[in-house]
Amino acid sequence: MISRIVLSFYDRVLDSDVLAPYFEHVDMPVLIDHQTKFIAYLTGGPASISDEALRLAHANRGIDRAAFEEMRRLLAETLEEHGLEPADVDSVMAEIDRRAGLVVTR
Amino acid sequence: MAAKPAPKGLDLDRVRALLLDSATVGLAVAAGAEGPILLCNDAFQALFPAVAEAEAALRLVDIVPGTADPAVLERLAAGDRHTAEVEVKLGRRRLVIAVEISPAIGHADGELMIQCQNVSKLKELEYMIDSYSKMIERQNRDLAKEKERVERLLLNIMPRRVYEEWREFGITTPERFDDATVLLLDFVGFTEMSVAHDPPKLIAELNDIFTSFDRIVEEFGCERLKTIGDAYLAASGLPEPNPEHARNIARAALRLVRYLERRNAISEVRWNCRIGISSKPVIGSVVGTQKYVYDIFGPGVNLASRLEPLCGPMQILLDDRTHELLAGELACASLGSQTIRGFGEQHIYRLEGTTSGERP
Repeated sequence: MISRIVLSFYDRVLDSDVLAPYFEHVDMPVLIDHQTKFIAYLTGGPASISDEALRLAHANRGIDRAAFEEMRRLLAETLEEHGLEPADVDSVMAEIDRRAGLVVTR
Repeated sequence: MAAKPAPKGLDLDRVRALLLDSATVGLAVAAGAEGPILLCNDAFQALFPAVAEAEAALRLVDIVPGTADPAVLERLAAGDRHTAEVEVKLGRRRLVIAVEISPAIGHADGELMIQCQNVSKLKELEYMIDSYSKMIERQNRDLAKEKERVERLLLNIMPRRVYEEWREFGITTPERFDDATVLLLDFVGFTEMSVAHDPPKLIAELNDIFTSFDRIVEEFGCERLKTIGDAYLAASGLPEPNPEHARNIARAALRLVRYLERRNAISEVRWNCRIGISSKPVIGSVVGTQKYVYDIFGPGVNLASRLEPLCGPMQILLDDRTHELLAGELACASLGSQTIRGFGEQHIYRLEGTTSGERP
C-alpha cells in the first residue's frame, strides 16, 4: 500500500510541469529515497525528520508557493486515490501546511 | 523447429514484421558491437528514439556502452550472452533499460541480436526497498542505543546478575548472603552544614563526592547499592560471592576517608564522614513492581547503621566478624564491648589503616 503510494506520487511529480524541473538533475535512487522517506514520515513510518533538517534540505532549492501548492495537490490526490479516509488526508495536509514555512523560500 | 510451409495467399514477411512490431520487448539486430543497428522494432525505437532520429546509423556501442570491451566481445564470440543495464533519459524521465545481447542465430557474420526491456518500475521498487531497509537499519541502531541506555540505567539500580535474572524471568528471588560485608557512610552534622541550605550547591557537592565514591568502591571490588540523602551504602560479596569481601570493604573505607581528607584540604566545603561496617548476614532483593530498586536488608545493614553514629569524625567502626575476617591484615584498635540496640553486647573495633601504618 505504502509502496504504491510512493511510486504513484513519484510518477505524478515527474509528470507535473511545475514540479518536474526541480527534480530534473536528481538521480532516480536519490529521488525515490526522498519520496520514500517523505511518505514514511507522513504516515508515521520509520523516518523522523526534524523541522531543522527539513529546512536545511530545502534551503537552496528555490521552492516557491506555486510549487508547494502543486506538491500539496498531487499528494492529496494520490492519497485519496489510494483509499485513505478524507479525515486522514486532511490531517496529513494539516501537517504539510504547518511546515510550509520551512520549505517555501521564494 | 522446422518452419511450416506458409498457407497459400499469406504474406509471411508481413506477418513477421507485424509480430516484431507488436512485441512489447525492444528487439534489434546490429552488425557487430561497433557496427550499425540494422533493423529494430517499434518497442526498441520507443526506448531509443535516437535510432530513428540520428542522421547516421547509430552503432550498438553508442546505445549500450561497454559492448566493445574485449571481454564482452570474447564472450559474444564464444556464443554467450551479455547483459547490461542502461540508463536513458526519455523526456523528463530517466529510464533503466535491461539489455541482453546475443549472437544472432544462423548468422556467421557477427550480427548481434539485442533484446531490451524497460525495468524502471522494478528499479524504482528496488530503490524504495533499499531506502526502507536503510531507514529500518537506522531505527534498529537507534533502538539498540536506547536499549543500551536503559540497561545502563537499570544497572545503576541493581547489580548485573540481578538485572540479568530480572530480564530473563521478569522476577528476581530474594537471596540470603552469609558471606558479605556492608558499609554505611554518612556525614557528620550534615543538616547543620550551610551548604545543606543551598540545594544546587549541595547537589553539586554530593554528586561530585558520590561519583568519586562509586569509582573507589568499584576499584576495590565493592558495589554501591544506594544513597539516601547524605548516606552511602555499599557492599562486597553480593550478589557475586567474593571471599575478600571484608578486606575489600575495609580497604575501600580507608580510601574513602583519605579521598575526603584530600578533598577537604582544597575545597571550600568540608565533609566529615562516619563509617560503620558489618559482616553479618543480609538479604538482597529487588523491591517494588512498578518502581524497581535493588536493596539489602537484615542484620548486616542494621548493625552497620548502628555502628556508624558511634564513630567520631572520619572514623571507621567494625563489628567483630569483620575484624575476625581481616585476620590482622589491617591495623585495628579495640574499643571493647558496647550494648547495641537489637544486637546486645558487641565487641567493636576502629579501623586504623594498614599494619605498616600506610593507608591503601
